[in-house]
Amino acid sequence: MTTNIALRATNISKFFYQPEKFKVLKDVSFDVQKGEFLTLIGKSGSGKSTLLYVLSTMDTDFEGELEINGVSLKHKTQNELSAFRNEHIGFVFQFHYLLTEFSALQNVMLPALKLGKKSKEEIEHKAYEHLEMLDLKQQALKPANRLSGGQQQRVAIARALINDPSIIMGDEPTGNLDSKNTKVVFDIFKQLARQNGQTIIAVTHDDDFALNSDRVIELSDGCLLSSHTLHKHGF
Amino acid sequence: MLSSTNNSISAVHLTSNIRQTIVAVLSVTFGISMYVFMNSFMTGVNKSQSDLAFSTLAHVRVYNDGPKDNTNLLSGHLSNNQLVNIRNAKLIQYTDGIKNTKGIIALLQHQPEATGVAAQVNINVFFRAGATKVNGILSGVEVENENRLFGTAKFVTQGNWGNLQYRTDGVIIGSGLAKNLSLKVNDNLNVLTGDGVSKNFKIIGIFETSIAGVDKTKAYLNIASARQLLLKNQDYVTDIMMNVKDYNLSSIVAKKLAPQIPYKVESWQMANGQLEAGSSLRDIIAKAVSLTILLVAGFGIYNIMNMTVNQKIREIAILKAMGFSGTDVTQIFLTQALVIGCVGGLAGMMLGYLVADAVNHIPFKIAGLSTLPMAYEQKDYVMAFVFGIITTFIAGYLPARKASKIDPVTIIRG
Repeated sequence: MTTNIALRATNISKFFYQPEKFKVLKDVSFDVQKGEFLTLIGKSGSGKSTLLYVLSTMDTDFEGELEINGVSLKHKTQNELSAFRNEHIGFVFQFHYLLTEFSALQNVMLPALKLGKKSKEEIEHKAYEHLEMLDLKQQALKPANRLSGGQQQRVAIARALINDPSIIMGDEPTGNLDSKNTKVVFDIFKQLARQNGQTIIAVTHDDDFALNSDRVIELSDGCLLSSHTLHKHGF
Repeated sequence: MLSSTNNSISAVHLTSNIRQTIVAVLSVTFGISMYVFMNSFMTGVNKSQSDLAFSTLAHVRVYNDGPKDNTNLLSGHLSNNQLVNIRNAKLIQYTDGIKNTKGIIALLQHQPEATGVAAQVNINVFFRAGATKVNGILSGVEVENENRLFGTAKFVTQGNWGNLQYRTDGVIIGSGLAKNLSLKVNDNLNVLTGDGVSKNFKIIGIFETSIAGVDKTKAYLNIASARQLLLKNQDYVTDIMMNVKDYNLSSIVAKKLAPQIPYKVESWQMANGQLEAGSSLRDIIAKAVSLTILLVAGFGIYNIMNMTVNQKIREIAILKAMGFSGTDVTQIFLTQALVIGCVGGLAGMMLGYLVADAVNHIPFKIAGLSTLPMAYEQKDYVMAFVFGIITTFIAGYLPARKASKIDPVTIIRG
């Protein structure tokens, strides 16, 4: 059974120290299956984004245990975590957060170039495939800051996918998109989970988005309020 | 693969805000060029100063320092209860000049550091022309060797230095001396030695070293004629002058030779402490000024790199979120600093050369100079480049390290 677990969080607690000491996350524990499409919901201030950043390995200032693909991440150095993130985690931010001085294509290619497992030609080919899938092939060579908000968000998604990460995390990945683009992004996530067995963890405010995912975890005041399985995923 | 990705990010950063990059490059260029110029100028000044000083001064001089102190002749020979009264004691025998000159000259010439050796017979004399009398030094020289050591020929303003070789009755006198005695070329000059010998010479040339003390008191003649004047044999010499490859090492050579020669062996530093002090002080000033300039330029680069890091703080956070490590980020910014340093350094060396060359053409007609002195030494350029790279490295490293420590979560979550 353990082999099917993509991510395991055990008793995760986190404090904010500004302006005063405050416990944001209170002993949160849950497992995420491989190929599962999980959404995190909750009121603002409930700690859902904070939890996501802990899960993403970017935030290391927490108590508890975090395991991804069976690897414990608690005692790794920052540089080891960077390398781990590069290979295993794709992240989509609420705002697109592209590197504005680079073209859309370069933005997508960068994580793969960093990983360095493929030749530049292969990476470029793959980046084009992803852009095409997201209907962005025409925009590939434009500088990132010349694209519309929806296009930028889709480029950011293509960037998150380039290294075929086992887990894709999104912090309100559709927060800035209209309903049509939201649908596109949702379908892509669903397809990734179904076809490639990639795990999706997304924080969202969008009830429709959450209700269509496999499982919804609700947080309230830093506690795990409920976990509903809506659809049986994949295998 | 890894570093080439980082390098291409650096390249994009450098080219996307080209104006800022140019300003950074210019600040390095300015620092390096001033460093090159200041050092070239100071080296040039020191060189011309040494050239001037060494126009009459040898690097090492061997001479007979006179008899030892004989004012207390019987010290050590008397017991306490003896009383002796000697009045008006005089030396009855004292050898002046240097004995065994051939052996000493051969020894000096065999030194690996030696570049030239010349013997001199220097005589304190009165120069007389009509009613005027001037106290001075008549220097009997080996015509060719003297020129090789001191370049005396280039100071001769009238007449020809080489003629001294053939004219046993000829002297070449300093311009100040000629003026004081109201003499010109082809006039006669009477010389009176301390022993009372008087002889007439023909003035065959006039020299001007621009050192007033020399020009007013010195005259050259053939060494053979000088020996004749003193009624001495063909081995007689009062001074042996020696030049070495690096005049800064004269003291060491003098110290090495001293035990092998029974006369006083003196380096120019011993004889002219003020010259050495002046030269060292100028060196120190030049170094201090140029290091200050480099420091200021370094601060400029630091500022610009710091600004760049602050502007790109969000992009750094994104890079880190995508899996770029702190080391990668340091590398990205350090590469930019080093590119700025290299480009600025190369441009600085060129600009420095141009400034030095321009200043070298400014007229400066004092003390035998015609333009401001300037030295073009490879060493100065290499040092400027190396210092420039080190400065940019440090100035770039601090902001780069700051960038590498950026926590992506705090930046991205705001």
